[in-house]
Amino acid sequence: MSKALYLILAVFLSTPLGLHAQGLDPGKMSKAPTDSWPTFNGDYTGRRFSPLTQINKANVGSMTLAWAFQAHTQGLQSMPLEVNGILYIAGGNQAWAVDARTGRQVWHFTRPGEATSGGNKGLAMWKDRLYLTTFDAQLLCLDAHDGKMIWQVQIDDPALKAFGSMAPLVIRDHIIVGTSGDTADLPGFLDSIDPMTGKVEWRWDSMPKPDDPAWNTWPHDTNVVTRGGGMTWLTGTYDPQLNLLYWGTGNPHPVENGDTRTGVNLYTCTIVALDPDTGKLVWYFQTSPHDTHDWDMVMTPVLFDGTFDGKPRKMLAQAGKNGLFFVLDRTSGKALVSEAFVPANWLSGFDPSGHPLPRRDKEPQPDGVLVTGGVGTNWQAPSYDPDTGLFYVNSREAMGVFYLTMPGKTAEGWAGRDFFLSSKSMLKAIDVQTGKTRWTADTEGRGGQSGILSTAGGLVFTADSASSLVALDAATGKVLWHMYPGGSLGTAAMTYELDHRQYVVYPVDGVIYGFSVPAP
Amino acid sequence: MFAIIAVVPSLAAQGGPPRPAAPSPAEVAAQVAAAERGRVIFKGNCSACHAEDATGGRGPDLIRSSLVRHDKGGDLIGAVVTGGRPDKGMPPFPMTESQISDIVAFLNAQIALFDLHTRYGPYPNDIPAERLATGTVEAGKAYFNGPGKCNTCHSPTGDLAGVAKKYNPPDLEVRFLYPSGTPSTAVVTLPSGKTFEGTLLLNDDFNVAIMGKDGWYHSWPKSAVKVAVHDPLAAHAELLQKYTDADMHNLFTYLETLK
Repeated sequence: MSKALYLILAVFLSTPLGLHAQGLDPGKMSKAPTDSWPTFNGDYTGRRFSPLTQINKANVGSMTLAWAFQAHTQGLQSMPLEVNGILYIAGGNQAWAVDARTGRQVWHFTRPGEATSGGNKGLAMWKDRLYLTTFDAQLLCLDAHDGKMIWQVQIDDPALKAFGSMAPLVIRDHIIVGTSGDTADLPGFLDSIDPMTGKVEWRWDSMPKPDDPAWNTWPHDTNVVTRGGGMTWLTGTYDPQLNLLYWGTGNPHPVENGDTRTGVNLYTCTIVALDPDTGKLVWYFQTSPHDTHDWDMVMTPVLFDGTFDGKPRKMLAQAGKNGLFFVLDRTSGKALVSEAFVPANWLSGFDPSGHPLPRRDKEPQPDGVLVTGGVGTNWQAPSYDPDTGLFYVNSREAMGVFYLTMPGKTAEGWAGRDFFLSSKSMLKAIDVQTGKTRWTADTEGRGGQSGILSTAGGLVFTADSASSLVALDAATGKVLWHMYPGGSLGTAAMTYELDHRQYVVYPVDGVIYGFSVPAP
Repeated sequence: MFAIIAVVPSLAAQGGPPRPAAPSPAEVAAQVAAAERGRVIFKGNCSACHAEDATGGRGPDLIRSSLVRHDKGGDLIGAVVTGGRPDKGMPPFPMTESQISDIVAFLNAQIALFDLHTRYGPYPNDIPAERLATGTVEAGKAYFNGPGKCNTCHSPTGDLAGVAKKYNPPDLEVRFLYPSGTPSTAVVTLPSGKTFEGTLLLNDDFNVAIMGKDGWYHSWPKSAVKVAVHDPLAAHAELLQKYTDADMHNLFTYLETLK
């Protein structure tokens, strides 16, 4: 081979790699996460399960601090991304890049002129760009090399109290994003945005249009169907083989008053499957018909394959704020399992297709009504471990009193109040074949509002309600490691392996802790 | 045994935007006065189509109007009022700048009222007792002295005398259902047999901590001691699972008479 040809070949082979050495290989998002954690949930499935085993049941007791990063902010809720040795962490109007081996800061972005805080769920990454939602309902595009802002676009109306806090989801060359809010009546949506320009490619509306049969699940003597609900507060999941995007939607508006919106109010409190190229609805399953309790179904739709009733199935499992756990066939949206995972008195049972049957007498009343079932779980991420077949969820068994404070048909925004009087927190491991709880970590203090990570090391990582970080035996719930970090876990742990060393990363208040086990 | 946790508002919080700083008392007073003038103007000129509370009717709802919410001192609303919206059937209303400014103040007050009415807004002290007292005094009293066994620990002429004066109606109801915030106490027994007693501060899987009767903080690893917890709210927690809605209404109706 001539020297010139060798040089040409060398340049040809190395350039694409060299150009994108710090950018994200999109193939990583379709694989179980090992050397990277490139999406909010680690991969597209939402399982938050890592195949890494260096930290395992046998040695987790010796897990110790490898490094810490002090963000000098409060209440971080961000799930870090890790791509090519860099952690990317979001805050409210700010973001950080941090060396994933050492905890040293690479860059810090703050949006000029805007208040900063910790409250944002996380970033999304596409090639060498990062995407951040903000309190004033903008989507920001940052350069991953240096954190400089490339563009910002307005995605919703902050005057109607819409705000951004979710981590967007990247599918090929689409940034999928929605917004939050229910102070004022507000219609929910998902946008697909061009990662280069910020232009909207399609919008799916949670509120149906007149040509949709779901239009008739709302009354038409008012304009309530245009006013909203069905906010898309959290990040959805994606099946590349079926090319279906899965998302949960929030409650209908006005909140806690159903007088003005007779009907089941599609597509609120609903799990939807969309075509990510067009935004067209493929199927839906409503988990709280005609919700009057603010029971969003925005929690992670977790995707896994397996056998159900002797047949191979592609499944989707979701545990809701309404205290119910569902397993659906994710090709069709048909329910395989519908089961309460906490005591729930707001429903009388399930219809033959697995939808709950709400009790009219447990809707909020002017003189109050006692309700159980919510808040069964909240936005903190659950996890599914394919080795145990268990779905882990931090749950609450709570009794609340619900008042209808703004009765009648002119109600808007929040029309009721709920007071949770007492609650018991616990981590539940649910058998996805039956919806029954296999084990409950129910000793005092355990099972708070923290998200969950499970690993092939046979471990479940979370925090207890007294704020200790814990690693549990995934099969039994036994505590194998614990540490009090001086604050609360605002999201869930994530993990990755670099240079043959596995790190477990916990964001706590304003600090990111990186743990590992000593080299053998 | 489970930890019974007094639930903080963050139970259901998804995390919202930071709140702006509050205006000064003088600014508030001026806004209130302007809003009251605006209410009169609005009622006389606008309410036929937009309703007296501005939630709309024949005309659009102004509470959730993006234009109204983006208005700064009448810069957007003024043109709509004085120019009308002929294409949508709204005639022009010739008004002075100060009249428009008052209408803006009224609309801002209405928006604030509706937006304040959130889960995280102030406690609804405005729920009147009549709305909650839908039971009967007799049935409430019978429950208090009967199935509720409230009289085991409480007396209407003792600790509960005047209780309805002490708390506003929703506070009274929430407190009798579950008076959260009352701490548990614990007796901790060391291997030597020595005991410590005090207010329980922490009792997780790993450690126990108390504020001792001796006035000092103490903590121990759980594995090293025996802990006996006394939860003064245990009876309330148990009863909470048994109440029917009617029991709650009756009990409130009775307790509301203890003034």
